[in-house]
Parts: sequence; C-alpha cells; structure tokens
Amino acid sequence: MTNEFPAPDPVPGPVAPLRARRVVLPPARQRAARPRSVRAREWIRQNLVPSPAGVLLTLVSLSVLIAVLGVAAWFTFSYANWRVVTDNRWLLFAGGFPHDGEWRLWVAFGFVFTLVGASYGMWSSLGRRDVLFMVPAGLFAVFMLAHGDAALWSTLWFLISAALLAVAYAAFRRIPREHGPTRTLAVRALGPVLALSVPIVFLVLMAGGGADSDELSGYLLNLLLAPAGIVGGLFVGIPLAIGRASRLRTISWTCTVYIETVRGAPLIGWLFVALFILGDIIGGDLIVRTMVVLAVFTGAYMAEYIRGGLQALPRGQYEAGHAVGLPYWRTLQLIILPQALRISIPPIVGQAISLWKDTALISIILPLRELIGSSRSAIAQGEFITNRIEIYVFAALMFWIIAFIMSRVSQRIERSLGVGQR
Amino acid sequence: MAQQAMSAPGGAPASARVPLLYRRRARRWFVELAYVALTVLAAIYVVSALGGREYGFGFLTQPAAFDIGNQWLVDFDGTTSSRLTIYLVGVWSTIRVVGVAIGLATLVGVVVGVARLSQNWLVAKSAMLFVEIFRNTPLYVQAVIWYAILLFGLPGIEQVVNVGDSFLLSNRGVAIPWPDPRVGLWGGPAWLAGSWFATLAIGAAVALRVRAVRQGQERETGEYRYPNRVAMTTFAVIAGASYLLLGMPVGIDRPIVEGTTYAQGMAVFPEFASLALALTVYTGAYIAEIVRASIQALPAGQTEAAKAIGLSGYQRLTLVVLPQALRQMIPSVTNQYLSANKNSSIALGVSYFDLFFVASIISNKIGHAVEVFFLIIVTYVVLSLIISGLMNIVNARVTLHQV
Repeated sequence: MTNEFPAPDPVPGPVAPLRARRVVLPPARQRAARPRSVRAREWIRQNLVPSPAGVLLTLVSLSVLIAVLGVAAWFTFSYANWRVVTDNRWLLFAGGFPHDGEWRLWVAFGFVFTLVGASYGMWSSLGRRDVLFMVPAGLFAVFMLAHGDAALWSTLWFLISAALLAVAYAAFRRIPREHGPTRTLAVRALGPVLALSVPIVFLVLMAGGGADSDELSGYLLNLLLAPAGIVGGLFVGIPLAIGRASRLRTISWTCTVYIETVRGAPLIGWLFVALFILGDIIGGDLIVRTMVVLAVFTGAYMAEYIRGGLQALPRGQYEAGHAVGLPYWRTLQLIILPQALRISIPPIVGQAISLWKDTALISIILPLRELIGSSRSAIAQGEFITNRIEIYVFAALMFWIIAFIMSRVSQRIERSLGVGQR
Repeated sequence: MAQQAMSAPGGAPASARVPLLYRRRARRWFVELAYVALTVLAAIYVVSALGGREYGFGFLTQPAAFDIGNQWLVDFDGTTSSRLTIYLVGVWSTIRVVGVAIGLATLVGVVVGVARLSQNWLVAKSAMLFVEIFRNTPLYVQAVIWYAILLFGLPGIEQVVNVGDSFLLSNRGVAIPWPDPRVGLWGGPAWLAGSWFATLAIGAAVALRVRAVRQGQERETGEYRYPNRVAMTTFAVIAGASYLLLGMPVGIDRPIVEGTTYAQGMAVFPEFASLALALTVYTGAYIAEIVRASIQALPAGQTEAAKAIGLSGYQRLTLVVLPQALRQMIPSVTNQYLSANKNSSIALGVSYFDLFFVASIISNKIGHAVEVFFLIIVTYVVLSLIISGLMNIVNARVTLHQV
C-alpha cells in the first residue's frame, strides 16, 4: 500500500451535449462545475419532465396552479374592494381601544419587541429570513395604527421598537452559549419576565386609567388572549401531567377524569360554559372568564403531551434522582421535567398554534369582539355590506401570518434543542 | 435487609422510632387526605354556587316551538315535536356532515400527502402550498369564506345554472339527481325498492368475497386470476338482474326549480356545503402531513426493493408503500377524525343546524345551561367513542398479523 489516498478525480473537460433520454448524472461536484444553462436544463428534465406521464402531470398541475393563482389575482386586484380594510383599520386592529391611550399600545409593542430580541439573542440567532418577516410585520403594524395625524408618531414608535429589539438582541447575544454563572443569571432574569409578560402587557394597557376590559377588541384581543391561554395552559398542564402520572390513586384518577372531560367537548362548548355557567362560580369579567376557559382547555391538551414526555423517559432517571438522595419534587424539577418538556416541545407548540387559530371562535357565541367580531362590525356598515369575502380573507391572512411564524419558530426550536438527537 | 439496617440497637421496631411525618406510607395518606379534602371543598363550593338554579331534564319533553332547516331523511315539524326530538335531528345533522367530511378529507389527505413527496417539483410545491395555507388558517374563517362565496358568488335561483337538466347551481345550493322509489313494472308495492337496495348490499358482500377468494388463489398458484374484474362483473350482474326481476322499482329523480326552492332530486345547501368543504380541506391538510410523515418513516429499502423487482411507480405506491404506511398513520388519523367531529361545532357560524346550534337555541330560549351543556358533552363523547371504536376495528384489520 504505497498510495494511501485515492487519486483525485480528473478535472472534467467540456461535457458533450446530453442526448440520451435517461440521464445518468455525474457526481455532484462535477455537475456543479458545468455551466448554469446546462444545470438548469438538467434540473428541469429531472424535476418537471422525467417521462411522458411526468410531462402530463406537470401540465395538469401547472394548469390547476395557473387557474387558482389567476382567480386569486383577479380577486385581489380587480374584484375586491379593499377599502373595507383600509377604512376600518383601527377598528380591526384595536377596536374600541381609546385613541388617547395609544401610547400604551406602543409601549406594549416595544416591550414585546424587546423580549423577542432578548429571547432570540439568548437561545437562537436572527437569520436573514427572520428579518424578512419582521420588517413587513412592523410596517404592517404601522399601517394599521397610523390614522390621521398619528402616522408620523406610529412610524417613529415603530423605529424605536425596532431599535429596542436590536439592542436587546445585541446585549443577550454577548452572553456565552456555554453554561456558566453569567448565563444562569441571564436565564433567571429573563425567564420570569417571559412568564409574566402577559400580565405585564395587560398592566401596561389597562392600569391607571387605561382601557377598560370591554374596550379591548379587534386583533389586539386575539394577540392578548392566545398568549394568556398558552401560558395559563402550561401552568395548568404541568401539574396535571405530574398528577396523572402520580402513584397516588385519588390524584391520578381525578386528573384523568379532568383531562378526558375537557378533551371530550369542543372549545366552543367550553366558551358556552364561560358565558352561562362560569359567571356564577368565579365571577369576574367575561374577558377574565374567557382566559380561564382557554387556559383550562389548553392545559388539558398540554398535560397529555407532557405526560407523553414523562413516559418517554426511562425509569432509570427517576431512580438516579432517588439514588443521589433528591426528594421527589427536586427530582422532578432538576431531572425529570427539563427532559420531559424538551421532548414535548413540538406538540406543545402545535397546541399553541391550534389555540391561536381557535381564538377566532370566541366571537361566535361570546359578546367579545376579537378580529372576527370586528370584521363583522366592519361589514355591518351599509357602505361595506357586500364586502364580506374581502374582510374574511384579510382576517384569514392575519391568522395565517402568526400561525406560520409560530410553526417556523417551532421547527427552529426543535433543531436547536436537538429533539430526537439526544 | 432494610428493616435490619434501620432497627436501632435499642431493639424497638423501626416504625415506632421514625416520626409519623417522615414515614412514607403515612405521608402518602396525609397528602391524599389533604387532596381529597381540597377537592371536596372545591366541589361543595361549585355546587353551592350553582345551587340557585332549577334543575331537571323535563324541559326536553316539551314542544320545541322552533323550526330548523337543512334536514335530510327526517320528517320533522319543529313546532309540535319535543325538544329532545329536535336535538336528535341536530345530532343526525352533525353525523352527516362529519361523515361526509371525514371520507373526503381522507381522500384529499392521501392524495396531497403523496403529492408532497412527488419527484415532480411543481406537484410537490403545489401540495406544500395547499397544506401551508389551509393548516395555518382558522377553520371557522375558512368556513365563513366558503359560505360567503357560495351565497354571494353564485347566481340567484332566478338565474339558476342548469347543466344538462341534471345539475342545478345557484346560491340556494347544488341540486343533483337522486335515486327515487317508483311504481315499477309489476305496479308493485313500495317494498320492492327497499328489497332492491338490500340486494345491492348483498351483491357488494358477494363481490368482496369473490375478490378475496380469487386473491387467495393468486397467492397460492401464482396465476393471475383477475380478482377486481371478476368481482366488479359479479356485482354488476347481481345488481342488473335483480333490478329487472323486481320490475325496475327505482328511478332517477332529476331536480327542478319550484318557485324559489329546489324540488325533487337531492339538494346540497350552502350551509352544509360550506361546512363540509371547510372541514374536508382543513382536516385533509392535517391528514396529508400525517401521510407524508408515515411514508417518510418507512425504510428506504422498501421502495428500493420494489424498484428492484420492477414495479411501476403506481404499483410501488399502492402495493408496497401505502399498505405499510397505513399501519403507522391510523392512530394519528383517528385523532384527526375525532377533532373533525368536535370541530363541526363551528356550524353555528354558517347557520347549519348541528347539535351544538340546536342546543344553544334551546338554552337561549329556556335557560337550563348546565343540563344543556351536560347533554352536549355526553353527545360528543358518545360520537367520539363510536369513531374510535370503528377505527379500532380498522386498525385490527390492517395491523401486522404475525405469522
């Protein structure tokens, strides 16, 4: 064995034009060396016209796609009267929110942007695609809030929020990725703020002469209720999952009954409870009752996913905790839950997306006007009574954007936590 | 061993020397007692908070005094029938729309899921677009958009679109031809039509049996025995012969417009259509992801082996890939069916009288919210149990039989 390394492949010369029907492609490196036009032709041959049946398939799907996109373009540019959206943007975005309290919205906006920046800096990194998302999202918020003289102010506030995001990102980016005292400190500082972010936003919006609870409506209400339900659902779901897995019969039995009952009826049924029954039990505003119902409902689903994570852990993990002398609760806190929650992140985010979409159900039976309810008031005006499809397509787009971003973020979390790899 | 190690030199039993609070069993009892006490207190509080109401299910037997539209196969008068009857009509409406949506969604899901893995770039991307759009928008908004399109996008019943006198299309819905019992050759009684439908069922069973037998012969001998062709011919012969023998007791009823409604034939109303369409597309998008994931979970060797023995792309899919992927996807697909069942409660938003809509009307009229909610939840649980029971049977049939 004199030659330890295989000789490198000879550098390819100019490739003869490919005439054969069936193309056998050379190794990737040589393929890349060929001119772009040849590569494009090969790509088309492989992906679009591999065989006569493939050509037919391409043609059929192309015609369907063109028809659908054509109808969509005709609707968007010719048929639709988008004034129903542009004239009602404040109604759709914040509904009855008092105009003079607009700064509260912007402070909340800046707070959330800062948190987003900090979380990204802490656990991930901003990619080009995230920026591509955030710029239109921010500009859109400016568009929705800019009414009359406020256009200048909303642009200014948006720039300030974006700057806050960038500063928070840069600050938390500096924290070392490895576990150490600085990182622990940062996690301990950021974690509680994240957990309490929903109440903080409510405080900013409502405290000290801010909006009344019945003045919260429009898209803002969806943006408030969904996180409240998700965070509340985690607070309900984690104890429920532990309870269901408990060895104490009464506890596991009641938790099972609770979970199965809640999952047995649709969310709209539980909203019915919030409207007609829950008032007698816990009292409070309808908006508070709705949040309780959303948390209770989501909690039951999250409990099932977390239980899946708990069951996926080998018994040895519990026994190891026992062996080093940790009490039950410390075992859970330090050994079991961190691993179980990591396993169950993908379905939990899936449930969060599902709850976000389900906030659209609220104004079916409750007298709360979230985005769909506001849309209904928008088309109740005589001028826009025929613009039903436009307003609902717009609402669908609004829901789609957040749901899509959430699903992308969940894929990213999965990758960065190494779910399925550790 | 443990007992010995713990017993101290004094000779007293270990349990007597460990304080009560530190004994494991005693602790469990304490925790459980405290938990039960708290639960009972909470229950007492809830009962007392709701105690000011009148309870009882007597209201269900009183006349409903309201009418609901969109019925099928039920002869029903809302003004005199009891509330229980009208509720059961709502349950039947739910079953109908969920049944249609589940069937179609499975079809859509399998097609789109397979298309997502197509080698054809255009097909794969179109399927991805479909899934991303319909999975990430709320079902309710989708249903409302379909409803708005069907109500305001289509012509009124005065300018009904007539396709060959068989299909009528307007904003009152679609009307299609439908089989209808009639007086046959023998001037016969009405039960002749019923017995023909029964014969059809028997014919289908016979045809399935023939197919299974022929497939068995194929496996034993290796000769091609045309199982599908023979089975279909058997069914056609049985159906045709019995149709003639019973004196052609069933005719096809074409729809017509009478005033402002459809008469004869079968009308699919916009409320039903929009709900079924939205449920189909939404559930279908989820099922497509399940199908894709279970196909991708198969070892690549399966497809390669099928290629190696020379199966075509379609044969690879139907004979090798899908049957194996089916085993993996059934539990997740069952979950999707269960959610579709519960999601059908958005019918209220498109004025389709499903069980939830009817129940909420009843509750709006006379109160009794707790009982009505109890009724709703029990009904949904029963429907869910039926669906998962059926799917368990399917699952038992397709799971791997260890030889």
